[in-house]
Amino acid sequence: MSLFASKDDLIRWLDSLLRDRIVIAPVRVQEQIMFQPVSKVEEIDFDFDNTTLSPKGWFLPPSETLFSVQRDDGQVELVPTLVEQDAVLFGLHPCDAKGIALMDKPFLQEPGDALYRERRGRTALIGLACRQVQPECFCTSMGSAPDDPSNVDILLTEVDDGYVVQVVTEKGKALLPQGLVEYKGKVPTPPELQAVPTREVTSAMRELFNDPYWEQLGDRCLHCNICAYVCPTCYCFDMRDYADKGKVERVRSWESCQSPGFSLTAGGYDPRTTKGERLRQRFYHKLLYFLEQFQDVACVGCGRCVRACPVNIDIREVISDLQRVMEAKSGS
Amino acid sequence: MELIQQIRDKARSLLEEGTVEGVIGYERASDGVTARPFFAYGPPAIERLIFDETCAHNLVKYLLDKKGKKMAVVVKPCDSRAINLLLNEGQIERDKVFIIGVGCPGMMETNWNHKSETLQAKCRSCQLSKPLVYDFLAGGELERQAEEENYSDITEAEAESVSTRREFWVEQFGRCIRCYACRQVCPGCYCPVCFAERLEPLWVGIRIAPEENELWQTIRSFHLAGRCIGCNECERVCPMDIPLSLLNRKLEKDVKELFAFQAGLDPEEQPPFATFKKEEKLEFGE
Repeated sequence: MSLFASKDDLIRWLDSLLRDRIVIAPVRVQEQIMFQPVSKVEEIDFDFDNTTLSPKGWFLPPSETLFSVQRDDGQVELVPTLVEQDAVLFGLHPCDAKGIALMDKPFLQEPGDALYRERRGRTALIGLACRQVQPECFCTSMGSAPDDPSNVDILLTEVDDGYVVQVVTEKGKALLPQGLVEYKGKVPTPPELQAVPTREVTSAMRELFNDPYWEQLGDRCLHCNICAYVCPTCYCFDMRDYADKGKVERVRSWESCQSPGFSLTAGGYDPRTTKGERLRQRFYHKLLYFLEQFQDVACVGCGRCVRACPVNIDIREVISDLQRVMEAKSGS
Repeated sequence: MELIQQIRDKARSLLEEGTVEGVIGYERASDGVTARPFFAYGPPAIERLIFDETCAHNLVKYLLDKKGKKMAVVVKPCDSRAINLLLNEGQIERDKVFIIGVGCPGMMETNWNHKSETLQAKCRSCQLSKPLVYDFLAGGELERQAEEENYSDITEAEAESVSTRREFWVEQFGRCIRCYACRQVCPGCYCPVCFAERLEPLWVGIRIAPEENELWQTIRSFHLAGRCIGCNECERVCPMDIPLSLLNRKLEKDVKELFAFQAGLDPEEQPPFATFKKEEKLEFGE
C-alpha cells in the first residue's frame, strides 16, 4: 500500500525520528554532498543527484576502532566497540540501497562481522526514488532501477506536492508517523537509462584473464583508491593495532586492491606486481569472483567511479570492451 | 586541428620508424567532452590522439612506469618542468624520451562531462609560451597574456592567525579519504615505498581521521618543497576538493624567497634541498 506525505509531513516525520535516533542524510559540505548524521532537518539536502561517497561508510566507516584493550591488575580485557543507538539512513537512492544489500553478503554471512551486523540491524533505510538520472548512471543494467523498492524499508517518490510513501518492510512500517492518508494518484514513471549490454561479460571474463587488454587498460591507471572509496560495494579493509601511552586498540580502515601494499605478503612476495594485474583484480572481483561467491555482481551502476576516476577508467566501457575482445577472439 | 595533425604525424613517423615503442598522448574520454591519457603503440591508434583545452593531465608521470623503454610523450609547457625535475633527479634518461612539446592555450576547468569556460588558475598565471624542453614543437610558440603570479591568496592566508589557519586545515584535512590520488598523480612522488606505507619506522597510521590525514598531507607537501613543479594535478584529481595548491604554492613561494629557486626550470641547477654549501653552516642555536 502507498501513502502520501506532504513536504511538511515529511519534515515533521524526520523531526520526530531525530528525537530518538541518529538520522544520516545527504548534506552539502562545500562542493560535496555527503551522507552524515544531522542534528536538524534543515541540514538535509533533498535535491541532489548523487552523493560524493556512497552511504556504505555508515556501516563500514572509513576508520573505526574494533575493540580496545584494558589492563587491570594484570588482567587483560578486550572491550568491543558498541553500537548503542538506532539510526535511520535517509535519502539513499535505489542503487545505493542495492549496494548495502550486496555488502550484507560478505559481512552478514556466518560468522558475520559483529559491528557491521549491529549497525545494520539498528538502522532503517528510507530510500528516495530518482527523479532524474545522470549520464553516468546505469543501475538498470545492474539489476536495479531508479524506482526499485527492493532493498529499502520505505521508498519515497517525490510527486508535485509531496512524497508517495511505499512501505516495504515491517521495519519500515514501525517508523511510519500517524495520520498519513492513502495515496490514490499516479506514481510518476521513472526516468529512462541507457543500457550497458552485459550478456556475454561473465563468459568473456572466464576467458580473458591473461589477455593483453588488462595491461593496456592499466597503462593509464594511476592506482589511486578513488574508485574503491567512492564505490558502494567495495569493502576491502586493512587492520592495525595502535598502542599509544598504554592505550591499545585495533583499528580497521578502508583499503583497496589498487594500493601498492595490498597484495604484498610476508616475505616480500607480491602476486600482483604490474599495473594491469592490479587493475584487473578490481574488475574480476566485481564482475566474476563476487558473482561466483554470492550470486550477484558487485556493481550497482551508480556511476560514481565513472565520474570520479581522474583518468576515465569507465567500467561500462570495460564491460563492453571485454565482450568485444571476446567476440573478436572467437571470430578469428 | 592543425596542432592535432602535427602531433599525429609526428607520432606516426616515430612509431613507423621504430624510434619509440609508444606514444603517450591524449584521446577523447568516454564522456565525449573531456580528454584522458592514451598510449598509442602502433600507427592504427594514431587517429585517436587529440589535443584541446581539456588535456589537463600531466603525462610525464607515466614515463616512470616505462623506464627502460623509449617513449614519446606529449608535453605542455607546465608539464615540461616535470621532465626537468625528473632529469635533475636522475629518474628518466633524456635519450629514452622523445618530447612532443605543444604550445598550450591554457586548460579549462572540467568536471567529468562538463567543460567550463573558466581557465584553470595555474594557467592564468602561467608564464611559459612553450615547453622548456622538447624534441619537436607542435603548434608553435603561443603568445600568452599571463597574469603575474603574485601569491596574493597565500599572502592573505599568511596574515591570518594561527588558530584561523589551523581551523581551516583541520576542516579541509577532515574530508581527506586517504585515496592517495594526490600522490599517485604527482610526477615528484616516486619513492619505491612511500613513507605512508612504511611500517618500520611507522610514520603515519592507516586511520582515515583528521590527525593522521593532516600528518599525511603535511609530510607529502614538505617532501615536495622545492620540488613541486606547480602542475597542480594533485588538486585537480582530489575527489574531496581539498585546496592542496595553497600548501604547495606557499612552499614554492618560501623556496623562491629563500633560495631564488623554482623547481623544473633548469635540469642542471641543483635544487636547494639536494645541496649543501659550507657557508650555510650555522653555529649551535643560531
